[in-house]
Amino acid sequence: MNRPLPRRARVVIVGGGIHGLSCAFNLAELGVGDVLVLDAGYWQGGASGRNGSLIRNGFATPEWTRLFRFFNQQWHELSRKLGHNVMFSRRGYTMIAETEQTAAMFEHAAEVHRQCDVKSELLSLEKLKAHLPAINHGRVKSALNLVDGGVAPHHAAMKAYRAACEARGVVVHYRTAVTGFERTGPRIAAVHVGDQRIEADSVVVAAGAHNLMVAQMAGVSLAGYAMRIEAMALEPIRPLIRPALALIDRLCYLHQTARGEIVGGTEIPERPRMSLRADLPVMTATARVYMDLFPRLAELRILRHWAGMIHITPDFGPLIGEHPELKDLWFSAGWSYGWAGGPGAGALLAKAIVTGELDERTKPFTVDRFERGKPINETAIVLAKFS
Amino acid sequence: MNRLRHAAQARITFAWNGARIEGRAGDTVAVALYASGIKAIARSRKRHRPLGLSGSHLSGVLGRVNGRPNVRLDLEPATEGLDVRMQNVWPSAGFDLLAAAQFLPRRWLRGGFEHTPLLPSGTWRFQVWERLLAFLAGMSPPPDTDVPAVVRTGRLISIDTVVVGGGPAGRTAANGAVRAGQRTALVCHGSFPGPYARACGVPLPELDPRVELIAGSEVFGLYRGGSLVTAAPHNHVWGAVIFECSRVILTTGRRSIPPLVAGNDVPGVLDASTALLLANEYGVAPGAAAVVVGTGDEMPLAEQLRALGVNVIHAGPVAALRRIIGRRGVNAVQLDRIIPCDALVHAGPWRADPGLLFQAKAEGLTQLALQEEESNVVAAGAAAAAPEPVAIGDLNLAEALLCPCMDVTAGELLHWIEQGETDVEVLKRVTACGMGPCQGMPCWEMLAELVAKATARPAPEIGRPSHRPPRRALTVAQAAGLDRLVEPDR
Repeated sequence: MNRPLPRRARVVIVGGGIHGLSCAFNLAELGVGDVLVLDAGYWQGGASGRNGSLIRNGFATPEWTRLFRFFNQQWHELSRKLGHNVMFSRRGYTMIAETEQTAAMFEHAAEVHRQCDVKSELLSLEKLKAHLPAINHGRVKSALNLVDGGVAPHHAAMKAYRAACEARGVVVHYRTAVTGFERTGPRIAAVHVGDQRIEADSVVVAAGAHNLMVAQMAGVSLAGYAMRIEAMALEPIRPLIRPALALIDRLCYLHQTARGEIVGGTEIPERPRMSLRADLPVMTATARVYMDLFPRLAELRILRHWAGMIHITPDFGPLIGEHPELKDLWFSAGWSYGWAGGPGAGALLAKAIVTGELDERTKPFTVDRFERGKPINETAIVLAKFS
Repeated sequence: MNRLRHAAQARITFAWNGARIEGRAGDTVAVALYASGIKAIARSRKRHRPLGLSGSHLSGVLGRVNGRPNVRLDLEPATEGLDVRMQNVWPSAGFDLLAAAQFLPRRWLRGGFEHTPLLPSGTWRFQVWERLLAFLAGMSPPPDTDVPAVVRTGRLISIDTVVVGGGPAGRTAANGAVRAGQRTALVCHGSFPGPYARACGVPLPELDPRVELIAGSEVFGLYRGGSLVTAAPHNHVWGAVIFECSRVILTTGRRSIPPLVAGNDVPGVLDASTALLLANEYGVAPGAAAVVVGTGDEMPLAEQLRALGVNVIHAGPVAALRRIIGRRGVNAVQLDRIIPCDALVHAGPWRADPGLLFQAKAEGLTQLALQEEESNVVAAGAAAAAPEPVAIGDLNLAEALLCPCMDVTAGELLHWIEQGETDVEVLKRVTACGMGPCQGMPCWEMLAELVAKATARPAPEIGRPSHRPPRRALTVAQAAGLDRLVEPDR
């Protein structure tokens, strides 16, 4: 752990979560071997170890759907690409509507999926009963299943990425916090870790909730705020719930892991803040949702609940690309479906850094879209807005 | 057969895997089975080792009761006509094909079965494999469809002081607070405050009647710096409680940490308080011939057990213990010589459960870590005493089970430590150590000690992974019954 830091790297990546590691891996694949990844916390300690581990490829806007269709494909190929088992489970990602309004949104989303060549299916009551027998069918108005979606446990993909990066010569340091940046004219020139200076041609920031702090350190503006999100795990039981689930009207998501635990959470608006402390309301609200929709979970016990932090943007969409205010400073930030996006976003970003060309699919998600008055209004996401 | 002379006489009967078991009035299911000579009542997750009542880990006492999975058999009263079944067996407890897992090579099981490169994701074979894994890891089927799903309504109590633990220190603290004019509640685990002290013959101060007593409950969380204290009753039909309070006194005492030696998971290895409760409350001998080890308390404990009619054949320091021999039950222990026996009782090393204090005082942006600042949460009595070093064996250490719930051995952890992973948070994630029903106590105490030993660092320097509430203390139905009692932080 106390290996010395290099004095120079072609690319320095701030953040060793799935986005940072994926970008490093893809850079190495494109021949940029000299990559340094720095992370203030521990391996899997940030949002890459604390998310719902859900992977979906369809939303209600073509912008999100085109991008996440690509991301989802990356997960399908990831075990082969990395040479390790990432345990991506293609079990379907099913969205549940309990109101007419959400059911209507599903109809619209299914049309968007068709246009974007994403396999999705509005499930009839009969089909839903076979697909998800445990749900309280009386409450369901509509169900939209994304056939190629699923889940991937954190530890497997994080382990695979780290091993694949290190095998390709990427240097990864955890518990190593970046303390400052250096500019030369219009471009970024070096990264500081305490009194150590590391010269870099490019810097990528993929620091999750810490993006805002890092941007401030680099002297550039970044939209959004940091927010806590909580989830909880029930004790293991034999398989009851097969697909990954989003209960859109409850702002709730859940799935049953390969370990048998049922992991999920609901979103409750609270004031934005940086903290990993768990609080009561999310646990009790999630339990209430389970009672309503999955009565067979009633007598199961809650093993643990915990908080994670993400960087939320005004339209909940990611910020991908070079920062317009500082050359050679790149961002993969503002993620709310970041686990799903990691493998694909790293590939697109690495390509953009090497070629200087942004991929068409990431263009709607540029860092300065709010200044340009171009937010994306996506309605099929499970997040609460603080207002 | 294992009953002592002072045991209750009234009989009850219930079914264990379909067979009729006779217990005595007041028994828990685990006690009645133990007294009937059935010590191996559970199977470990990966290698299907027999597990039982230990006082240390919960996976040894989880069973299926009347169609409800994962019921704590050490808390479930043995009542007439209960249907109790062993979990993690297939197709049945009598003919368990899953037991073949014990013959699998150990390296296959590191971190679970999951990571095999032979069946990578992205193939249909993985999807089949994953379904099989989910079945194996699940331990027990979901609750039967006729188990009622009812929200168990909880309540919010505004009060000045909450005392956690009903031993002498807890009673004294609660009496002191109430006499200083504070509205005070005392929450204790047992059906009355202080069963261990009573079993030890320690005098218990009379509890002031003005103290609101909440017995048979576990405090599972300290939120918002300790200004919210949550407790859940062992009885799953009752609602849970949230205290809004200005002061919390933790008098939860200390627990004996199991020795980290090969065979420490064998049924018949008991901690001191479990052995004392068995003998004193239920009139059950821990074994026909018991060995007691400890860090100084072994002699008085042996005397106490002998006075209750238990045949203690040896008592000595835990540091001399090299391994425990047996599979379905203890056959012998190895000290400087091999001593045949059928129970091993450990009285130390003693450590306080750090979980609640951690929840109240931990903060951090990249990792939760205990903060030393002033707070309204204090520990008192034995819970405030310094931790004692954990005993680590020297014979077949790799076989010692560190986390019986997730079936993680010292050998599995040493494998990762040798590869350079010495961060306890990372070790937790790669092995799942401490992610089972006990949620890290006592296994993370042993984990920290093992990392210290393997890396030659001082033990107090090694931290613990985050202690997270609610540690399986409450059900979904009880948690739902607390909904909207507390406002979100806006």
